[in-house]
Amino acid sequence: MPDCGTSYENEVADGYNIRNVKCSFCNCTILKQKLGKFTTLEFDLPLMKQIGGAYNIETEKVSLFWLVKHMMTFENVGFSNTVDNKKYLTCADCDAGPIGFHDLTTKESFIALSRVTHR
Amino acid sequence: MAKKTYDLLFKLLLIGDSGVGKTCILFRFSDDAFTTTFISTIGIDFKIKTVELRGKKIKLQIWDTAGQERFHTITTSYYRGAMGIMLVYDITNEKSFENIIKWLRNIDEHANEDVEKMILGNKCDMEDKRAVSKERGEAVAREHGIRFMETSAKASINIDRAFNELAEAILDKTAGREPGDHVDRVTVDRRQQSSTTGSCCNK
Repeated sequence: MPDCGTSYENEVADGYNIRNVKCSFCNCTILKQKLGKFTTLEFDLPLMKQIGGAYNIETEKVSLFWLVKHMMTFENVGFSNTVDNKKYLTCADCDAGPIGFHDLTTKESFIALSRVTHR
Repeated sequence: MAKKTYDLLFKLLLIGDSGVGKTCILFRFSDDAFTTTFISTIGIDFKIKTVELRGKKIKLQIWDTAGQERFHTITTSYYRGAMGIMLVYDITNEKSFENIIKWLRNIDEHANEDVEKMILGNKCDMEDKRAVSKERGEAVAREHGIRFMETSAKASINIDRAFNELAEAILDKTAGREPGDHVDRVTVDRRQQSSTTGSCCNK
């Protein structure tokens, strides 16, 4: 898993993100500090850069997320069109993504720690 | 975690003919670094952006029509809860400008009557192909008492300014009003009507 090699211990305090969550490409602020709850679950997240084309989506297993219960908690974020009852999340400024996903049933959003930077 | 991280929430819509660049205003396809991605294939539904105006933290939720304008199916449900509308035409396309009048009528019919409107003449970076003068855009806006701006989503001209101005106009209207809690429950499972994810920006 891509997020196993990096230690995120220093990013979590009392179960929430210590630092602001930012886009790795354009530095846009996605989520302010202490608003994402550290959560582990296994999810096949499509790669940002696809090689195989639209009908052969390559994914990777991602397991560390910031859970955001209400979408309006985000500072800046984009929501994709719906795919299998999910919306994928993107940077609102440069459209890089997916950086996570939104579950339409639970209304919860998950930002993958490995797809963003913390500053 | 119940604490609110903002003061106000404004729902904004992008309206106008197909091909005028609405999707590019929402979805910039910045350069070809990301254009072959998964995201550009499935398309963006809406964005949440935070702006600060007069000391107030305002969340903008910005929606695109997702191609529904092609089928003339933009009706009450799409306009529901909208507080601001960006009416977009393409300065290189006369017809899209003429249709602004049609869109204004559609808004009058279906949207909340005190919705704040703004007309955007998009693609102003394409001066050599210009078909609609800035003066004509200004005149139509003046006639209807609406704000006007020329923009280029491609060259990032006036886009942020336009959204800030529209938000400010809404703020003027809502000043003194309490943020309604009902706006927190936003439905996002809009039925997909078509898979129109092809982009005018990729040309």
